[in-house]
Amino acid sequence: MKHIARLTHIAMPAAVVMAFLFAPAVDVHGETGRLLFFHVPLAWIAALAFAVAGALSIVHLADRSGRWAHLDAKARHSAAIGLAATVLATATGSVWAKMSWGSYWNWDPRETSIIILMLVYIAYFSLDSALAGRGNRGRVASAYLIIAMAAMPFFIFIFPRLFGSLHPRSGSLETDAVTRITLLVSIAAHTLLYLYVFSLKNRVFALEHVTE
Amino acid sequence: MELREKSALNIAFAFAFISTLAVSLVAGGAALGARERALLFWLIMFFSAMSGLSHAFVREEERGTALFLRLSSPPAAVLSAKLLFNLLFFLALQAVIAPLFVFFMEGGVASPAGFAFSALAGGAALASSATVLSAIAAKSGARGSLFTVISFPVMLPVLITAAGATADCIETPGTLAGSETVFLLAFSGAMIAVSYLVFEYIWIDE
Repeated sequence: MKHIARLTHIAMPAAVVMAFLFAPAVDVHGETGRLLFFHVPLAWIAALAFAVAGALSIVHLADRSGRWAHLDAKARHSAAIGLAATVLATATGSVWAKMSWGSYWNWDPRETSIIILMLVYIAYFSLDSALAGRGNRGRVASAYLIIAMAAMPFFIFIFPRLFGSLHPRSGSLETDAVTRITLLVSIAAHTLLYLYVFSLKNRVFALEHVTE
Repeated sequence: MELREKSALNIAFAFAFISTLAVSLVAGGAALGARERALLFWLIMFFSAMSGLSHAFVREEERGTALFLRLSSPPAAVLSAKLLFNLLFFLALQAVIAPLFVFFMEGGVASPAGFAFSALAGGAALASSATVLSAIAAKSGARGSLFTVISFPVMLPVLITAAGATADCIETPGTLAGSETVFLLAFSGAMIAVSYLVFEYIWIDE
């Protein structure tokens, strides 16, 4: 926890400084193109948080002996971070879409995928709040996350290929070495930030649980 | 339960019949494109089916028969029965809506076999995902509205894909099973497989 916190405190400011001062402005989009250094990592965190929440839900249901405590709560914490990242990725993506395609929303399959991921998160929290106070809250909410996780590869990987997408695919953008390094640093920094916030939320939950 | 509650089935079929007529009437013989007609077809299918599919497990909980089912039948058998009923229900709905839709809407269908196949694949995808989601909704307090909230993100891409597959069959002769139909069938298979894996955890209370 301490190491993650220290690394995050170094990596995030470094990523911000590199995005604004070190990396060159993107050819076509100019200074606004620096959104790339935040949009891509946020979309990555949205997917990572969802995968972690889904994996924790699987272990929660499979763990019949109760060896791993409160995995359903940890899945909820990961999903909460994922929802925030999804909202921010959608907002930065729509600004990018305005620059590239002329309107904030085009119903491109990639845009549809991220909005569906956001709806899944919203539906998960609606279900979770409806189940509050019930003994089966963790099991039912975990089952929903697993079902949504089984459906997501169809939407994220197959859906854009089925309908064709204007969205750039990974590796399709022609970028120089400095831009690529900055993007990688930003992705690493955002991943550390996710791990830090996730562990912080789990720690607060554990403390609340002890005091109750 | 479903066969004893015939009024719910009758209402679903009446809703399907009325909504098909209403859409055709409002369209008023306008020359709509293949995409628009496919969209209207799947909107009618979706809203007609939702009234029936969402109640698969809710009625069991409301009538207090869920406990009896838990004691008398293994979870896999209960899920199989509900899944089969929902698939047959969707098939029956399509048997009512599809001929009416083709009859009332202008333009005809270029590939009737492909149209029927895409409708079946889309119906299977919707019914297979709706079955397990209705079990989840039945376990929560806010049943009716919650089903819409939790099912929409899972079903929305199915609707978009099914509408695309149907539009191809309406305008292109000889279309049978494109990549969109394969997507729908693969999605149905994945949903059914995951349903069997997680249903026990939803159905059995600890």
